[in-house]
Formats: sequence, structure tokens, C-alpha cells
Amino acid sequence: MENLLHLFEGFSILFTFQNIIVTMFGAVLGLLVGAMPGIGSLAGVALLLPLTFKFNPTTAIIMLGALYYANMYGGAFSSILIGIPGDGPAVMTMMDGYPMATQRNRPGQALLTSNLSSFIGGFIGMVILTFMGPLLADIGLKFGPAEMTALLLVAMTSIGWLVGENPTKGVLLTMFGILLASMGMDTLSGYPRYDFGNIYLLGGIPFVPFVIGMVGFSQVMRLMSERHKETKISVDKLSIKDSMITLHDFKRLFFPAIRSGFLGTFVGVLPGAGATTAAFMGYAVQKSFKSEEPMGSGAIEGIAACEAANNGAAAGAFAPLLALGIPGSGTGAVLLGGLMMWGLNPGPLLFTNSPEFAWGLIASLFLANVITLMIAWGVIPFLVKILSVPTRLMIPVITVICIVGSYSTSNSMYGVLIMFISGVLGYILNRTGYSTAPAVLSFVLAPLLESNMRKAFIISQGSLGIFFEKPISLVFMLILLVILLFPAGRLVLTKLGVLKGKKN
Amino acid sequence: MEKRRHPISVMQIIPIVGILISITFIYLGFAKYGFWDEFKGPRPGFFPVVISSFMLIASSLALVFSFKEEPIDWPLENWLLPLSVLAVLIATFIIGLLPSLAIFVLLWLRVFEKCTWKTTLTVFAIIAVIVVGAFVLWLGVPFPKGFIINMINN
Repeated sequence: MENLLHLFEGFSILFTFQNIIVTMFGAVLGLLVGAMPGIGSLAGVALLLPLTFKFNPTTAIIMLGALYYANMYGGAFSSILIGIPGDGPAVMTMMDGYPMATQRNRPGQALLTSNLSSFIGGFIGMVILTFMGPLLADIGLKFGPAEMTALLLVAMTSIGWLVGENPTKGVLLTMFGILLASMGMDTLSGYPRYDFGNIYLLGGIPFVPFVIGMVGFSQVMRLMSERHKETKISVDKLSIKDSMITLHDFKRLFFPAIRSGFLGTFVGVLPGAGATTAAFMGYAVQKSFKSEEPMGSGAIEGIAACEAANNGAAAGAFAPLLALGIPGSGTGAVLLGGLMMWGLNPGPLLFTNSPEFAWGLIASLFLANVITLMIAWGVIPFLVKILSVPTRLMIPVITVICIVGSYSTSNSMYGVLIMFISGVLGYILNRTGYSTAPAVLSFVLAPLLESNMRKAFIISQGSLGIFFEKPISLVFMLILLVILLFPAGRLVLTKLGVLKGKKN
Repeated sequence: MEKRRHPISVMQIIPIVGILISITFIYLGFAKYGFWDEFKGPRPGFFPVVISSFMLIASSLALVFSFKEEPIDWPLENWLLPLSVLAVLIATFIIGLLPSLAIFVLLWLRVFEKCTWKTTLTVFAIIAVIVVGAFVLWLGVPFPKGFIINMINN
């Protein structure tokens, strides 16, 4: 009950002209970024970060939160209409969305099914977030440096293992991100380190240009290869009237959406899992239930299951982000970096020290869900035109935003140089199968990990035993051990013939 | 046709660079910043040395696995974009950032992409609205003017 009162207070903070406008702006941008294949929420949030500098932290995070959340809606548009997912989570939507649009000739209904399921899944995620967020924060208050160190190690390694094709590469980039973050000033002693005599490096690697380069500029470089691909849209014209679904259709989407909403939220809370895993799981679970049409042939249940799951996960991911300061994905890491930049420290004390911020953000997600549903519905007639924008025209636009955005963070060409170097590096890494998301995540979390690890070692006078003495840290260390040994175990089991190996 | 294998490709260079970075960080951590103090506990080099040690292991494993990976094609065309940005960076010191970006957009669309003037100017106008509206007017970012303008002003 207390949480609901806090949520109402959050709404009272939210309902200012500026906040409502930025929520709408974030929702529109999120839909556009999500709809255009190849950009994705990570690059979208990173590119928009500089635009939030003039806002107060609450308004800034409301805009980015709305963008991130609306992105989950937008990703489905291109999946359904052109058979190319706008982002990772929309891959599964394509399985039934595209056949429903092309084979069953119901593109408008497929879009509305996706929008309504996203709304239901997101709403469930937000209700759970309202109750789970403060609960997680209460648990987090019991964490000392040893528990926090163990938790951070689990968060970092799990995303390193789960993202990308090779766990070793994931760990390599996780460590690389931490080392980059440790350059500059030692936060505990104030002693300069790894600056190599360079005055710019003394201040460390700036977060915004680094992240814009790693995920934004590298992405534009990748788009260069796809700029001549023709976009074949399955329909010539769409209208709101033609997209209306029947009561029977709604009944078909409702229960899969509810089920996947719950499932997706809990997947979203886990570090490293995120919206893509949630969508895959939502679809897989739906397969074990009865569908009116076979899954994969344009079944409404299939679209509903994955869309509700990925929006549930997007909302659920805010629980560990706000309550523990642990982002579940690369996009979460950028949001966390933004929060730190605005002087806020997400973690167990956030709900106590900055309740207006925490509850304002949660309330804004509810508003973003309603606004995005309305905009996503209203935008249906214009989708053919939006999706027809050629990639080759997007390249100079995004490049200019990368350069100008990087400059604006420090009013120095040093920022542009960092963006350029990290962009080229990100491109090379991506092409060679190294996902850059673990580097971004670890770059953001490194200071927190270092401070907790050093405090833990000061308390224990250098003994590793501190991580195994208390039950919470012991559990996290065991999880860490399982994560680290899992690939080796899988390799052994594959060699013994217990598990099937990968087919080439 | 079978791809010709180079003795060392980017697949190996990345872990090798990882190994070199790890060794540098470990060396500096021990030799320059200090690892452990009997009374004060962990020194500034402690955390980077611990992390570098893990990175050294991961890089070495990645190097071993890299020999099983297929070499990757690097389309030359994709490098035109970073080269253009590099040109913008250099031109900024002469004519300033915004004029350099304007020239980049016009040349990119009109010469490289061979867009019509109508498309070129439409995209140019959209970019101008974003940059001038959001960054110059809204955020008030003082973009560098380049030494020619600075010389005239002085």
C-alpha cells in the first residue's frame, strides 16, 4: 500500500508540462529508432544522452526511459512489415508477425496485436517493478562491500558470457572496459594512474563520447555495408481502420500476453538476460500452449507472447538498476552512466535519498506505456513512409549527431577523438565477434566494483575468505563459479557425448 | 574457392593487443602505482593488476581459440566513413566544426551517394535543424570556429 502512495507521489512529480512533453518526445524517438533496422535502443539512448544535459535528472531519465521503453514497441514494426527485426528482441516477433502480414494479409492487425501485447506485458512489468523495486532496495541495504563485490562480479561476468558468440571474448572485453575506466585518477586515493603523462587522460576516458563511439559510430560503420539493400515493404498502404482487431483476436492475444508479461519481467530482472532472452523464452513457452493457428504461420499468440515478454523485461530491468545500481543490459548501463553523470547514485539508498526521482521514473514508465500505445497506434498509417527511409540517408545524419554529441559533452575536440577511436575499435571488435555491450557495462560499473573490492580487502586485511564467510556473498560467489565453469563443463559434456555439439 | 589464410589476421591481433595491454597494466601497477601496503591495504595499482591478470588469461585463451576462426572480409567501402570523420577533425582546426560538417554532409550525399539536389538539401536541412536547434540554440554549445575565423576576429 505504501508503495502505491509513493507511486501516486511519483505521478504528481511527473505531471508537469516539461515532463509530459519529454515523455512524448522520447516515445516518438524510441518508436522511430526501434522501427529503423540496424540502430537499436543502445545506440539510440547513447546518441540522445547529450541532449539531456540541460534537463534536471528526473526529466532527463524520464525521456531516456520513455525512449528505451518505446524502442521495444518500434522494433516489431520492421519485423512485421519487412521481415527484418528492428532490434534483438524483435527477432522472435518476425516468426509470426511477418507471416501474418504477408501470408494472412493482415499487416494492420499484426501491428495492433504487437502494440496491445507490448502494452499488457509492459504494464505487468511496471506493477511488479512498483512492488519489487523497494523490496530489492531493502535487501540491498543489507549488502556490505563483500556482497556488493560478489554481486557486481556476477552481473559483469554474466553479461560477458551471455552476449556475443564466445564467452572468452565477452570476458576479455569486460576486463578491457574495467581497465579503461581505471585510467585517470584513482578515486579512493586521488593518485593519478595510467595517464601516460597525458593531461587529457588524467581526467580519464569520458563516458558519453566513449559510449557514443562504441555503440553509435561503430553501428553507422556497419550500416555502410547495408546501405544499398532495398527495403521491400509487404504492403502499400496502412490505415487505423484496417488495423482494428476483433474481440476474438483480443481474447487470443490476452492470455499469452499476460503469461509472457510475468515471465518477461522476471527474466528482465536477471543481469545479462534482457529483453531478447525474454522474447525467446516467451515464444518458447507459448509453443507448449495451444494456439488457434500453428506457431510460425502468422499466429496472434506468437506475436503476443514475444512482444509482451520483451516489454515486461524492459520494465523489469529497471528494478535491479534502480534498487541495486546493477544494469541488466548495455542499454541499462548507458542509463546508469547517465544517472551517475547527473550526480545520482542508483543503489539501495536511492529510494530513501531521492524518492522523487525513483518514483517519478517509475510513474513515467506507466505514462510512457499509455503514450507509446497511442502513438504506436496513430503512427500505423505513416509506417510505410517511415520504413522507406533509405539507410544511406541515415548514415550522414547519425554521423553528424555522433560528432556534435561527443563535442558537446566536454566542449572539446578530445571528446570527438575518443568517440572516433572507440567507434573504429567497436567496429573492428563487432566484426570479429566481440560484442561491445560487456565493455560498456563494465566501464560504467568499474568504479563501484573497485571501491567495494578494495573496502572488502581492507576489512579482511587481504584475505579472500570475506567473500565466502557471509551467506549472501557465498551464494553470489557460487553463482559466479557456475557461470565461469559452465562453458568448460559444456565442453567436457559435449566431448563425452552427453550433449550435442554445435553444427557447422 | 578457398580463402587464403594469412599467418596472422585481426582475429589474432586483438588477443595479442589484449595480452600487451594486460602486461603493461600489470607492470605499471606493481612498479609505479603499488599493489599492497602492509598498513594501508590495497594501493592504486591493486585493482588494475587483479583485472589485468584476468584479462591476460582471457586474451591468451582467445588467442588459442582464434586459430580455429575463419578470417573476415573487411569491405574497403566501410572505411570511407572514418576517413571522412578524420578529414572533418582536421578541417575543424582550419574552418571550424560546423562548416566542416556542412561540407561533409553535402559532399557525402551529392558526390558519394549521388543523391539528387532535392534529397541532398532536404537531408541537409534536417541535420541543420537538429544541430542548430538542439545543440547551438538549446544547449548553447560553443563549437570551435577554426583558426581562420579566430585570426579574422583577432
